[in-house]
Amino acid sequence: MNSAITHLTEEQIDDVLLGELAAAPAAHLAGCDACKAQVALAEAPIASFKAVSLAWSERRSATLPSKLIPSSASSWYRHASWAAAASAVLLLAIAVPVTRYEAASSKHQLASNSTPHITQPAQVNAALTVPNEILHEVRIQPVATGVSSGSHAVQIARDNQMLQDIDRELEASAQPPADDLEIQSVGNRSNPRGRPSNIRNWD
Amino acid sequence: MQLALDANMTNLQAVERSSSELDDIDALVRTYRPRLLRFVTFSIGDADLAESITQDCFLKAYNGRDKFRGDCSVNTWLTSIAVNLIRDQQRLQKFRFWRQARATAIDVHDAANFLPSHESSAEARILAIERTGQVQAALENLSVNQRTIFLMRFAEDMDLAEIAASISMPINTVKTHLHRALKAVRAQVGGSR
Repeated sequence: MNSAITHLTEEQIDDVLLGELAAAPAAHLAGCDACKAQVALAEAPIASFKAVSLAWSERRSATLPSKLIPSSASSWYRHASWAAAASAVLLLAIAVPVTRYEAASSKHQLASNSTPHITQPAQVNAALTVPNEILHEVRIQPVATGVSSGSHAVQIARDNQMLQDIDRELEASAQPPADDLEIQSVGNRSNPRGRPSNIRNWD
Repeated sequence: MQLALDANMTNLQAVERSSSELDDIDALVRTYRPRLLRFVTFSIGDADLAESITQDCFLKAYNGRDKFRGDCSVNTWLTSIAVNLIRDQQRLQKFRFWRQARATAIDVHDAANFLPSHESSAEARILAIERTGQVQAALENLSVNQRTIFLMRFAEDMDLAEIAASISMPINTVKTHLHRALKAVRAQVGGSR
């Protein structure tokens, strides 16, 4: 019977490895040492892979913790730490400019409070005859120096008096020329102190 | 009638045994982790990521143990969960397959020292390492489906029907992938004439 069938083909050897060899070639294989050797040669690398890879994974598995830690939890921690870090950066990004702004504002306030000469009411009144865009650029000229901190309260009182004078003069005027141009008046009526809202200090 | 009743009882006992097996997660991990870790590792070619996926696989199996119907072995069920997790990873593209994963590639050289006694001689160990490296290299050149099916068949000893059920693929398609994978591996390893 063996002489009737030639040795196993490559496909038939594959079938042997897959356990799908047909009956006739299987009968040949049972009595053919050459084919058995070929099959053994084909099986050996796969058998080695199976044994070595299992030994590798058993060893690797032995080094892992026996208790499982949910990776979702670890990812939650990772995400939470990222969120915390991002929040901290955001807070810093907001807090630093605000702090610096406040520090600069208080510095400017101190500087303006210590300024002995502010633009005189008459000058401001004259300036009111020009369009508001220019009025927005009214500057309080810093002429600093040499004023003791004890005079701050006096200076503040003078400034307030001056601004009240401005308010009175504005109310006394019939109609600001800016109204003709349909431009909003510089005098902020809703402001009880009547300060121009955006007088800029250019020190 | 009695035979059918016995068969039902046997199935019921198998389900109960498998269900109780799934209830003890520590025992589950001890029993199945090495094989599952091997399957995942050689499927994705990244040992570190394989550990993470294997862990997720056990957690998913434990959390979904009520869904286990007992119509396959626990190992097959775990393997099918692992296949889905690997696919999820591929979809998310959290890693690049094989060629980009060499940084945590698998080094099996040390493992050869732990081989069973019949391969414990120095010469046998060297030969086993060499052959393993050849198969490992050949696996890298397979398609994802071919590699998965090859590993299921030759590493996990799953039969074709189990493989087909695990990856939701017709059995003839599984056969085709398996034949191509085996042919490619044998051609690269040198076991073919």
